[in-house]
Amino acid sequence: MSLPQSLRASVSPPELELIASQQLIEIVPLISMEKTAFISGAYGPLRPPNKARVPLWMAVNLKMKKKCHIVAPSWLNVEYLQEHLALELSQQTFSSLPFRFTEIAKVILDVASDDLENPDKIRSLMKDLREARQAKSREGLKTLDHSELSLPNLCSMEINEIRPYFVQSMSILTQLVRDPLRNA
Amino acid sequence: MDFDYFSIEAILAENQKIQCTFKHDIPGMGHLGGGSERDIAMLSKIQIPIWLAYTIIYSDWAEFNIPAPFSSRVRNALKAEACSVRLSNLVGAGGLWYGFGKTIMDIVSDEQANEMSDMLSKAFRDRLLEVVDQAQHFAALGQAGAGSSGNTAQAFREGLDTTERERKSSLHHKNCKIPLEQVQVFYLAQESARRMKRWNEDSDRTRH
Amino acid sequence: MDWDEEYELIRSGRAVPRAGPSFLTRDGSPSNDDPHTNANSTTRHQQPQPPAPAPAAAAAIESVPDFYPEEAEQGTPLEQLTRHWMNERHAPDILPAQEDLLMNLLDHLRRQSEAVQLLREDPSTSEEEHIRIMLVQIEVERVKFIVRSYVRTRLFKIERYARFITTNAEIQTRLTAAERDHASRHAILTDQHFYLSVLQGLPEKQSHLDDTPLFVPPMVTEPDKSRPVFVHALQRCPRVRLPDGATLDMEKGHISLMPYSVVEELVARGEVELI
Repeated sequence: MSLPQSLRASVSPPELELIASQQLIEIVPLISMEKTAFISGAYGPLRPPNKARVPLWMAVNLKMKKKCHIVAPSWLNVEYLQEHLALELSQQTFSSLPFRFTEIAKVILDVASDDLENPDKIRSLMKDLREARQAKSREGLKTLDHSELSLPNLCSMEINEIRPYFVQSMSILTQLVRDPLRNA
Repeated sequence: MDFDYFSIEAILAENQKIQCTFKHDIPGMGHLGGGSERDIAMLSKIQIPIWLAYTIIYSDWAEFNIPAPFSSRVRNALKAEACSVRLSNLVGAGGLWYGFGKTIMDIVSDEQANEMSDMLSKAFRDRLLEVVDQAQHFAALGQAGAGSSGNTAQAFREGLDTTERERKSSLHHKNCKIPLEQVQVFYLAQESARRMKRWNEDSDRTRH
Repeated sequence: MDWDEEYELIRSGRAVPRAGPSFLTRDGSPSNDDPHTNANSTTRHQQPQPPAPAPAAAAAIESVPDFYPEEAEQGTPLEQLTRHWMNERHAPDILPAQEDLLMNLLDHLRRQSEAVQLLREDPSTSEEEHIRIMLVQIEVERVKFIVRSYVRTRLFKIERYARFITTNAEIQTRLTAAERDHASRHAILTDQHFYLSVLQGLPEKQSHLDDTPLFVPPMVTEPDKSRPVFVHALQRCPRVRLPDGATLDMEKGHISLMPYSVVEELVARGEVELI
C-alpha cells in the first residue's frame, strides 16, 4: 500500500519531531565551519565560541558528535515552566506555548540534558504541564458536537494525540445529526 | 460509520431486521418470514432486514414500528444512566447500535427521525468521555497491568483485546456493553495514547 | 517504490529542470539558478589530480548569499512543501499538485547529492569538510523523507478514488499528468478484476460498477468532505458558515476542529493550514 494504515488517520510523533527539528536554535559551536548553503537555507559561519543559529536537526547531530553545546530556548528552564504550570492550573483555557514545544523539549532533553540546568526538574514539570493540559482537552471532548470545536493554543503534539478519536467522534456525530437543510 | 458502497459496517447495519406489518396480501413471498407459508397475508408481522425493508416501506406495502433497541424503554434507561446501558446487547452480534439507528432514521417520519437523532447523538456524547478515559487508562497500564482493575473496567478489557481477531470474537462477549462504533473510538484513543507513550519513552537518538 | 522511480514518476508528468542553489555554489554567484554554474564547479573536482585540490574544494563550498528573496510570505520551498505535505495528509480530498515546487526541490536534492558524492571521492577533503558533508547528507535524507511521504499520500488517495477521478473533470485538474495516468490504469485494473472474478457471472443489467440504485450509496467512492480536520488560521480569514448554521471569524493563529468542507476554499487559497 502506498500509505501504511497507521499513517492514514494521523501523523506519527516521529514525523512531527522531524518537522519541529527544522526550527532554528542557538548553539555554541566547538568547531569552525564556513557559511554553507543547505536546502532549507544558509547556515553558519560557525566560529567558536560565538553563538550561531542552526536548525535543531543540525544542532542534534553536532551535539551527538560533541561538536557543540545547545543553548536552551528561553522557555526551556525551571522558572519559566513553573510559572507556566501555575498559569495552566489557574485558568480554564490552554495557556500559550510554542506550537512545537513538546517535540523540541523532548529532543533537547534527550541529547543535551548536560547543557540544561536541572533537567530532571524540567522533565517532571513538562509532565505536569502535559497532564494539566490533557485534563483540558478532556473537557473539550465533553463539548464536542458535529459543527465546530475551537481549541486555542493547543500544541502540535497535543492535537496529534487527540486527533484520531476527536475526528472519528465528530464524524459519527455528523452522521447522527439530521441534515439541517432537511429540517428547514 | 463511513457508509460508502463497499463499507462492511454499512452492510452489517443493514442486515439488522425490523418488524414490518404488511398492508396487503403478497402472494408467493411467504419465505421472507422464514416459515412454510406460501403467501404473506395482510396484517401479518414479519421480521425483514433493513436493506429489503427500504423498498417495502417506500412502496407502501408495509409499515413498521420503531425497533426495540430504540424503544422508549431504552430511551429512558439512557436518560437515567447513559453509560450503563448495554447497547451492543440490544442489537446482537456485530453491535452496530448507532449504525442501525442511523438507517432507521432514514426511513421514518421527520418527527420520529428527529427524536431518534437526538437520542443517538446524546447517547454517543454522554458515553464518549468514559470510552476515551478507559482507553487512555489501559494504554497507560500497558498489557501487564490491565488485570488489576475493577468490574466495569474488567468488562471493558474482556470485551476489547488488542488484536483484530480477538476484538471480533470478543464483541460477542456478553460483558461488552459498547457498540462497535464506540469500540472503534476506544481503539483509536488507545492506539494514540500508546504511540505517544512509545515516543515519550524512546530516547535513543542514534536512529537519526 | 524507490527514490529514482518516484523522481521519474513526477518527472514524466512535466520535466522542466528548475534549479535552486546547491551547497557547492560559490559565494556571491549571481547565477544561483543556473544549473551550468553548478556543472562548472563540479567538473573541477572531476579533473584528475588537480594542481591544488584542497583550495579548489574549499572554494567550491564557499557560502551563498541570501537566496529565495520572494519567500518571506510563504516560507522557503522546503517550508512550503512541508505545509503541503501536512495539508495533504489531513485533507480527505486530493489537493492541487505542486509540480513546480516539487521539481525545484528534486533538482536541488539531486545537486546536493552529486556535490556530496564528488567531495567524498576527493581524497583531499578535510576532516572539517567531512562534517559539512555529513550535515548536507542528513538534510538530503530529511527532505527525501518529506518528498516521499508527500508523493505517497497523494498516491494513496489517487488509488482509493481512482474510479471517481476517471469520471470527474474537476478533480483531474488537481492531478499531474502522471497521476491522472496512474489513476486510470488503476481504475481499469480493478474494474477488470471485479469483472473477471464476479461481474461476468451476473446478468448484463447487474454487471456494471456505476449503478446508483435507490437506498444504496453510489458505487463510486468519493472523498468525504464532511470529515473533520484541525485548522490553523495563517491570517485573518473571511467568515465561514458552520454546519449548525453559526458563523465563525477566524483570526490569525486560531485553531479549530471542523468539517473539511467548511474550510476547503481557505485551504486552497493558503489562508489556513491543516495541522
